[in-house]
Amino acid sequence: MRHAVISVLLLGVSLLTLLEPLSAHHGSAVYDMENMTTVKGTVTEFQFSNPHAQILFDVKDEKGNVEKWVGETNSATALYRLGWKKDTLKPGDQVTVVGWRSKNGTATMHLHKLMLAGQELPMER
Amino acid sequence: MRRHSMSAILLVAMLAVSFGIFAQTVGHSGPAKAQTIANTPDLSGIWSRRAGATGPDFLSNSKKPEPLMTPWAEAEYKKVRESYTSTPTGYLNDPVFNCVPPGVPRIYSIDFEGIMEIIQLPGRVLQIFEFDHYVRQIYTDGRGHDENLPATWMGDSIGKWEGDTLVVDTTDSNDKTRLDRLGHPHSDALHLIERFRRVSKDKLTVDITIEDPKAYSKPWGGQLAYALKPDWKLMEFMCQDNHTFDQFTEESAKPAN
Repeated sequence: MRHAVISVLLLGVSLLTLLEPLSAHHGSAVYDMENMTTVKGTVTEFQFSNPHAQILFDVKDEKGNVEKWVGETNSATALYRLGWKKDTLKPGDQVTVVGWRSKNGTATMHLHKLMLAGQELPMER
Repeated sequence: MRRHSMSAILLVAMLAVSFGIFAQTVGHSGPAKAQTIANTPDLSGIWSRRAGATGPDFLSNSKKPEPLMTPWAEAEYKKVRESYTSTPTGYLNDPVFNCVPPGVPRIYSIDFEGIMEIIQLPGRVLQIFEFDHYVRQIYTDGRGHDENLPATWMGDSIGKWEGDTLVVDTTDSNDKTRLDRLGHPHSDALHLIERFRRVSKDKLTVDITIEDPKAYSKPWGGQLAYALKPDWKLMEFMCQDNHTFDQFTEESAKPAN
């Protein structure tokens, strides 16, 4: 359990070439790097934390079923230096999230891009 | 009563002596500091590798030939590599992921940035790393290595100026850390030589040489490139911060149903 936290701090081993900047803290084996997933959702929580910030959001399908997603991105320190603040994302914000979904099909992804009110928020990839 | 008066006199006398010593110390450190700064290149500031890193790993990467290892190191490295790649989360076997102190030079590979502040004091250069706020002390006052020290994560670092370059010689590291993100091992015989040079106002290079006869049959190393971040402040980046992320990592890495 504890080691998982830290996982995050450093890179997985296999990403030493092209994928590296993207998945700086994870083994690329976890994510489907071949396919980009785009979802629209409503933010329920923004964790402005290290080693990675996380965005929790609800995605509704056509039938109205809600799926709970978690997206992870840069460290809070890196985001802060890109101009993010504690309240850059608030519960209720409508977002479009683009990223690499976990290969196991769970509602988790590593973010590539995040659009809020038509604006792309800065992110290191 | 009389005893009290004596105590009071003694106390006043002690305070007077202490202040005297303090005032002397302050008086001496001022000019000493000015002299140090005037006579040595200025490496101080906050530095990050992000805007100038030389590659995925400064010591070795998939494009660089492996260093020549002893049989012990080769076996150790093979074991580490296999444990890193055998499962999607195998990279968690890196001790750093368990918040084990990274030591030097592993700390430079943290998060691709190795963010640090260099502070120059009379007789000492400090490196304060953003990651877990590790502090490394490099003595530049002419002393040699302390032969009686126990082995430590950061080792014993002695620096000296060679022209515009700070040459740092480190011994007495324990063998609990790895050298880089790839997992190259080292023994307790590690002798690390780093050459810090401010190549321009905004750029710092650190040339690293690994000497470890128990692990490598000849010295090897690489270069770090750092960029000055004049507008940054050193922030807190604690290894054990976000426990929710635990669940996320487990969720995203568990086998598919």
